[in-house]
Amino acid sequence: MLSLFVLSLTLSVPLILAALGGLTSERSGVINIGLEGKMLVAACITGLVGMASGNAFVGFLCGSGAAVAMSLLHYLVTQAFRVDHIISGMGLNALAVGLTSVLHKRLTNPDFTDRIPGFPVQVYWVIAGAAVVGIAWYLNRTKGGLRLSAVGNDPDKARQMGVQPTLVRFYALVATGLFCGLAGSLIVTNAGSFTENMTAGKGYIALAALILGGWRPLPALLACILFGFFEALQIQLQGQAILGVDLPSWVWQSLPYFVTIVALAGFLGKNQAPAGLGRP
Amino acid sequence: MSQETPAVQMTDIVQKFGSFTALDHVSLAVQKGGIHALVGENGAGKTTLMKVLYGALKQTSGHVELSGRPIQFRNQAEAIQNGIGMVSQHYAIIPELTCLQNLMLGAEPGWAIPVKKAEERAYDLASKMGFSFDWNSPAAGLSPAGAQKLEILKLLWRKASIMILDEPTAMLSPSDSDALYDSLKSLAEGGATIIVVTHRLPEVMESCQNVTVLRGGKLIDSRPVSDVTTAELANLIVGRSLEIPTKEGFLGSNPWLQVKGLTVKGDRGNEAVRNASFTLCKGEVVGIAGVDGNGQRELFQALSGNRKPQGGQIVLAGKDVTKEGQAQRIQAGVRQIPEDRHAEGVIEEWSLAENASLGLQRHPTLRKGSFIDRKARLDFASKIAERFRTKHSGFQKPMKSLSGGNQQRFVAARALAIDPKLVLAFQPTRGLDIDGTQQVYNALRATARSGGAALVVSFDLDELLEHCDRVMVICHGVLSEVPENQTRDRAAIGRLMVGAEL
Repeated sequence: MLSLFVLSLTLSVPLILAALGGLTSERSGVINIGLEGKMLVAACITGLVGMASGNAFVGFLCGSGAAVAMSLLHYLVTQAFRVDHIISGMGLNALAVGLTSVLHKRLTNPDFTDRIPGFPVQVYWVIAGAAVVGIAWYLNRTKGGLRLSAVGNDPDKARQMGVQPTLVRFYALVATGLFCGLAGSLIVTNAGSFTENMTAGKGYIALAALILGGWRPLPALLACILFGFFEALQIQLQGQAILGVDLPSWVWQSLPYFVTIVALAGFLGKNQAPAGLGRP
Repeated sequence: MSQETPAVQMTDIVQKFGSFTALDHVSLAVQKGGIHALVGENGAGKTTLMKVLYGALKQTSGHVELSGRPIQFRNQAEAIQNGIGMVSQHYAIIPELTCLQNLMLGAEPGWAIPVKKAEERAYDLASKMGFSFDWNSPAAGLSPAGAQKLEILKLLWRKASIMILDEPTAMLSPSDSDALYDSLKSLAEGGATIIVVTHRLPEVMESCQNVTVLRGGKLIDSRPVSDVTTAELANLIVGRSLEIPTKEGFLGSNPWLQVKGLTVKGDRGNEAVRNASFTLCKGEVVGIAGVDGNGQRELFQALSGNRKPQGGQIVLAGKDVTKEGQAQRIQAGVRQIPEDRHAEGVIEEWSLAENASLGLQRHPTLRKGSFIDRKARLDFASKIAERFRTKHSGFQKPMKSLSGGNQQRFVAARALAIDPKLVLAFQPTRGLDIDGTQQVYNALRATARSGGAALVVSFDLDELLEHCDRVMVICHGVLSEVPENQTRDRAAIGRLMVGAEL
């Protein structure tokens, strides 16, 4: 029982970090389905650099830098070129899958059999917890947080009040990159090595948790833990017979995704999205 | 500061947009400590001139001085730093934020917001003006009057000493308008300089010290209000003598719209309209006077089929339409000039032609079988643009290319175009000038007389008294007729509007 709890928390931390990345972006009005791609790139670069340098910190730094670079590309495409947010997010994800596949095949050192160096998991726990509280405070109690909410709800009126929506979104997307970098580096160092498409939809699940949590940090945290729990549950239930029936493993593996769909279908529309989501 | 140096001096301002000259060598001098009215028709250049002053537009030529000091703002942020603030017609209030957050936005007191201190200052500013706000509730709950007050406080929060208000009373009831001018007067006495852009001459005559008239981008006249009469001012604005129509008394006898015991619930589950019963006779134009938010909206929604009544009956032309949906009612001839034209009247991204048929798309004259008759639609668009002389640059251009007043002309003309049997007009002259107002009401009257009826909601009692055959009053959802002997008594109706005894 205790192990299920610990496993739930462990599995929910990357979701929490990614959801916070989604939060800063979406609260500024940029729809972000590109979380997945940013995490994947961060995981790949963290792995490659960590492998080459043997230094956890250098690996993390480069991985996060790559995620921030992806996020800035996202900024450029949505804010400067005004491309539809959904399409640009999809494009970013597709780019990430292709890019990481090529880099992984070309640059992975076949002689490297160690685990990719990384920080202990507890470090990420602390960062995720502190970030949730910090962002909740930031949104309600600071100038930057107020401007973030204002831009996300009505960029035109915010502009009238002397706020520059594009600048606010620039910072918001840099933050998104950093959080996705943290999430990606956690995923790859936790697994020990990079495998293709290893984020496996976690970006989308994090986004679902964000929506489920009504774009607020604390409820989003709880939603992430819920999804983490089902992920942990499916791992524990793998290979166990239920009422004498031996279910194939893919049934269990689909459990977290299935829960995501049910939760979204049940809650979508009940939560108030930032009113300016997707607006230029 | 001497009286000779005006607080604001704009000299020879020229503003060109491409080949179009919006302002042609306009000068404006505004004295400190007074209320200065800027009047003119739609498109006269009032708002453009204010945008130049506020830094939202850079003039083609000419210069601006504040208290004798030449300035050239590059943006609104610079203007506000120099003490100039503007409240535009569409409030810059974000409903999802709290009142306090709206107040601070763009001028926050530091990186981390000292909430206690900010609240204290907000309370102070509000109580100085005699306003009261629940600072931590969302701004979505504000009435138009509340939003206007918050806008003024936003300027005070930014320590603005020169305030520009664009059509500040457009959405306010008479008593709220009076209260607004009282606040403005006390601000002016405290040394603030106030410029009001307005269409309403009575408020100019009553509350302002000086008035400047613009017409077609040119300065027509500028003088103290005490030197001018309302009639002269109206002539200066229009540029020709305005015919005041002598209204023929109209008494209908043929019941056209009969509403019995209508009860409608509001969004919060409250009874927004309570047991309303009234009759509109064929040919009548009837006004509903009342302060904003007293059930006018819900009444109109129930009549147009957009809200299901809890009880009661609506009979139009002898037919019970209570259970019918919007489409059926449109078919029966119910037309709307909606309150919020952005949300309910037009789709701004669509072309004028597409907007022309909006709501009327099922009408046989605008379709070919199951398809749209594009030619008929275009002809129709040109017909309705013609009616109130909507200024536009082509029927394929998006609606948002039109100014607010011109959009309103277009929407009003559309409602009156094809077989209207019952016109529901909510603030039909919002954003229109004297001439446009006259045209719209004349058309409403003509439409009613030729076999229909019109019901008009306005928060401007004078407008209703001037143009409607009779006026009813709505207060807290209770609709009441005005006693026979007081039908033209402004004060008596005003008392009914606020629920006071006669």
